[in-house]
Amino acid sequence: MMPFGHCLIMSSRTFCLSGCVLRILGTEDHIYCHSSFSQSMLCSVLEEVTSFKSEGDFQFCSVCSGILQLSYRDDKETLVKMKSPNDMALVIAELVKKEGHQVDGFSLEVSIPQFILENESSLLSGMKKRYESEPWFQERLLSKCVSVKDVLKFAITKPLETLLDTKASASSFRIRLTYTHKMALENSVERNQGFKRRKIGTENGLQNVNDESVVANKDCSDYPANETIAVTGRSSLKVPIDKVSEPCHLVYLCYRTHIYLCGRYLKYSRNVSQTRWIIDEERMGEASVEEIIGSNILPMCRGDNYKFHAAGREDIDVRMLGSGRPFLLEIQNARQVPSKETVKEIESKINGLENKLVGVKNLQVVGSQGWTLMREGEAEKQKQYCALVWISRPLEDEDVCSISLLHDMQILQKTPIRVLHRRSPLEREKIIHWMKIERIAESSQYFLLHLCTQAGTYIKEFVHGDFGRTQPSIGSILGCRAEILQLDVTDVKMDSF
Amino acid sequence: MSDVMVDHTQKLEETAVPNNLEQQDKQDEEQPQQSVQENAEYEDEELHKHLVPDIIQLPLIPPSAVEFNFASYFAPDFMKPGNDQYVYRHANGLCVVGLASTHLAFKDKGGITAVDFNVGKSDRSGMKVTGKRKKNAQHFESNTALCKVCTNGDSYIVRCCVKGSLLEVNERLIKQPELLHSSADREGYIAIIMPKPADWLKVKASLLSLEEFKKLRVLC
Repeated sequence: MMPFGHCLIMSSRTFCLSGCVLRILGTEDHIYCHSSFSQSMLCSVLEEVTSFKSEGDFQFCSVCSGILQLSYRDDKETLVKMKSPNDMALVIAELVKKEGHQVDGFSLEVSIPQFILENESSLLSGMKKRYESEPWFQERLLSKCVSVKDVLKFAITKPLETLLDTKASASSFRIRLTYTHKMALENSVERNQGFKRRKIGTENGLQNVNDESVVANKDCSDYPANETIAVTGRSSLKVPIDKVSEPCHLVYLCYRTHIYLCGRYLKYSRNVSQTRWIIDEERMGEASVEEIIGSNILPMCRGDNYKFHAAGREDIDVRMLGSGRPFLLEIQNARQVPSKETVKEIESKINGLENKLVGVKNLQVVGSQGWTLMREGEAEKQKQYCALVWISRPLEDEDVCSISLLHDMQILQKTPIRVLHRRSPLEREKIIHWMKIERIAESSQYFLLHLCTQAGTYIKEFVHGDFGRTQPSIGSILGCRAEILQLDVTDVKMDSF
Repeated sequence: MSDVMVDHTQKLEETAVPNNLEQQDKQDEEQPQQSVQENAEYEDEELHKHLVPDIIQLPLIPPSAVEFNFASYFAPDFMKPGNDQYVYRHANGLCVVGLASTHLAFKDKGGITAVDFNVGKSDRSGMKVTGKRKKNAQHFESNTALCKVCTNGDSYIVRCCVKGSLLEVNERLIKQPELLHSSADREGYIAIIMPKPADWLKVKASLLSLEEFKKLRVLC
């Protein structure tokens, strides 16, 4: 049995849902007409703690500000009075449909202004003063206050499950009801003193929630009722419950938290950058890996936006071959989570593009653990390369041999001149794990150099020496001038991807 | 190879994108170990095809990293006759300065014996530039002395040629002055300077291009 809209107690001072009084006393059975309470008893309780005269036809409960009366102002400032929780569920279902979300579960969140908790504790301490000695009161005090949020969530969840044809669960699809109140905003400074400020909404990075009002009103979902009452106890005896002439402002929001797709990408072109690269309004290169992959995946998820993250990067003129480089694509507010088949289709589509600039492997939807997988050992991982090298004298068998004998060779690289303008001038120790020369049949001075190095090694500079600022270099090892013409990444060793 | 991001190098023969990668995944599931190994070898072969270049399309002598990534400028008789210096400017604005091959110091019979960075008011080799913003870098004028190059009979002052922040000097020259003989235009560079864009434009006007310099010094 729900208290919505019923049993409004009237005193000479203010109005309060009897339900609100009862739920503060921890009435868990949701039945709001306990025999121990009489109307007059409740009235006198309210006399103690309130101070304003009542006016008008419809009155809002002083404790919950009309929330449990299913009354609120919508975004057009219209006063809305729902008859039952079903109606609210209907509004939500309409919104979900309008946004085009495909729903496989939902998580319902409600956030209310802080002052409501304070009102509750005011009322409770007022009652305590009066009825402390009564046995029925002492018995009640042991049970927890049933919060406005829980009441509302409980009421809306069932009809919503029916309307959306799915279950409420820990889902990436969130439905959020945010109640705010003008009065609370004005007094927010006062209220924030002594409270630790909490960050809100950082997980999902919502932009369309009114962040100001949310922070000011303090999401009090995680405070257990007892704790809150203890915290606000200090001020509650003095602060009366103000009469409420205005209900709360309600914003309905439904969104999906980030979903992730991971995989490995290959870059076959020497004219494609990893991420979108624009200088002075001109694009560098003919395309980017980020845009090719993102633009093909985003529409299949019907998301708002994507963010591309990769485990390291290669220059625009360096190809990414072999195993491919691990990447993570973050999709914001996807209306649909792609199925396994859809994901396979996307992979085939990208690999089948006519211009063959980029390829994708092992594409799959992954949970938030995708982050940890990516970061894992990114700095320690080894990379394998193949470089096309030219030297200023013919290659000898001795050279092939001596190069192959070098294992875990340490080199010292000063910050390459080509990046020195934007990086710190440092000397970095790097390890070349192994090298192998592959002769090219028709040439005595060109050869392929296969090498495996520590992450962060500048390969080009290791070959040509960068004015002698990388020591040793291929040139210094072979005792001649060495130049690099082409570079390919052939393996990015990462087990988890 | 290019630091600047345009594809100057010859395009390699385009091999088909291995669509069979997907098929191989399925094969892996169904067939025994031997087949998996074969598939791995096949993948390696495919990769290898991408790597081997088409030799015919490669030049006999490719442009050097410096030729490719830097624009060469020259300052003949800078502040003193015979003091020929080069300024190699990278696309990112950084300038590498050093002795041109026609510098008087190279004509000295005894050869270069020492390089001393302790000139002017401070020892140029002592400064430590840190951070992305290049804190502590000294701002020098184009005629500020960088170092003194000593030969048996003489000594020559090498100057900045470019007004800007001194990022680095080639300390290796202290222990190995012979680098100036073996490769003054690479390992024997003198210093790296970062000029402001406006300052570069001013000095650029007074410098010669490689062609102009060759003509002046009557080089082949």
